[in-house]
Amino acid sequence: MRQPLLQRYRLAGRLAPAALLLMALAPVARAEDPAQWLARAAQAARQLNYVGTIVYQIGARVETSRLAHLNDNGTELEKLVSLDGPAREVVRSGSDVRYYYPDVKLMKVEARTFRNAFPSLSAEQQRSLAQFYDFRLVTGERVGGHAAQVVSFEPRDGLRYGHRFWSDAATGLLLKARILDERGEVVEQFAFTDLTVNAKIDRALVEPSWPVTPADWQVRQGTGGEVKPQDTGWTVARIPPGFAKIMEGFRKVYGKPDPVAHLVFSDGLVAISVFVEPMPPAIATMGPSQQGGLNGYSVKLDDHLVTALGEAPGATVRQIATSVQPRR
Amino acid sequence: MNENISRLMDGELEGPELASVLAALKQPEAHRTWTCYHAIGDTLRGEASGATVPCGLPRGLAVRLAAEPTVLAPRRTPVEQTAVWGWAAAATLAAAGIVGWTAFSLVDDAPAAIAKAREAGSVRAAQVRPAATVPSDYVLAHQEYSPGGALQYVGPYMRAAAVQSGDVRP
Repeated sequence: MRQPLLQRYRLAGRLAPAALLLMALAPVARAEDPAQWLARAAQAARQLNYVGTIVYQIGARVETSRLAHLNDNGTELEKLVSLDGPAREVVRSGSDVRYYYPDVKLMKVEARTFRNAFPSLSAEQQRSLAQFYDFRLVTGERVGGHAAQVVSFEPRDGLRYGHRFWSDAATGLLLKARILDERGEVVEQFAFTDLTVNAKIDRALVEPSWPVTPADWQVRQGTGGEVKPQDTGWTVARIPPGFAKIMEGFRKVYGKPDPVAHLVFSDGLVAISVFVEPMPPAIATMGPSQQGGLNGYSVKLDDHLVTALGEAPGATVRQIATSVQPRR
Repeated sequence: MNENISRLMDGELEGPELASVLAALKQPEAHRTWTCYHAIGDTLRGEASGATVPCGLPRGLAVRLAAEPTVLAPRRTPVEQTAVWGWAAAATLAAAGIVGWTAFSLVDDAPAAIAKAREAGSVRAAQVRPAATVPSDYVLAHQEYSPGGALQYVGPYMRAAAVQSGDVRP
């Protein structure tokens, strides 16, 4: 039963322009390939100009922020300002991300490549998406004053979290997103409480409040950025079904003297990272860790520390962490 | 005042007392807080509120909410969700916003409204796992490759910022 349905989705995807026209006329469910739907949301986030207020809940934390995004002839300028707590802000210009912490007089610079914004999925990943998640599309809800299209990815096994997205029916921009745990409880979510899309964005809205970093602030250069693909000598013996390795290499991590091996596995919707480093001299926290929809698991492997981390249930992350071994 | 709001939630106020609490709610700042709370709550629960006012939680309130985590954890049953979640958070926000307490006094001295919220069953201590903190530098590194940590299409570093704000090492 599933296969013909999926084929219909794909066919509808090819008829997207016609579907768009239809959608403008009536709020009918537009069947689409999940991968295409995700790509559209990511593209909208990169290309459109918008400003709005975001409520973000991660585990027990709730934060509200003001977000402004300007597509300046292909260069993304973006600013996120905290509306509660210390007046912190994050300013991005292309791949340059600056975190301002006025309360502790600290500015952090990170180079970010943002590959995460849904690159085109491989055929294998697309198959995996359809095989491991039930994809459903609903229309008729509203978020922050916008008509929304709701897309839910329900996991078909206990190895994944559920994901639900609300996108602006007119532009595809994400209005709200949720990660749901095994019990269907929300573990992480964000939502716009107000949003203006295709707004004229004043440049000041995407520029830092401190054009020149004050002299008495500490400036910390981050160690993010490109990782050169490379065999790290590590492998994961029990990769959960549907996950495939999408990256492997070494990276510098702040505060760690040695390069850290970093492997990434993805099922097309989320990713689980594996970090392997020489056992640090200070006692590291072992076992599970959790923050909203993000689970971590650290385990000692001979004289190395293995940490797995990703948007998946604790058991899935743990399975990966505990089955890391040297490649023979 | 917080006690009165708490009682208002429970429908315990009447007569002049009720009138005076309602009058206090008409103060612009109090009213804004109230409206914002509803917009935020409605949005997170997925109900169309129609309200599109730019809202921020009053400064310091995030601390309060962090200390009372389940206040904002939506419940599965729609009825409970609206009734319990709504009132509990309303009580919290109203008490904090209207009285204008600082984060410190809030943390040190839980208002009666919170106690009411507990009684109402919205605070589920068993669910608050005191889990170890996920290493933030690893979160940042992971973030870059995570296709859909999903909450990241919009402000991809939002999670990193949130995680880091609790863990800044100058």
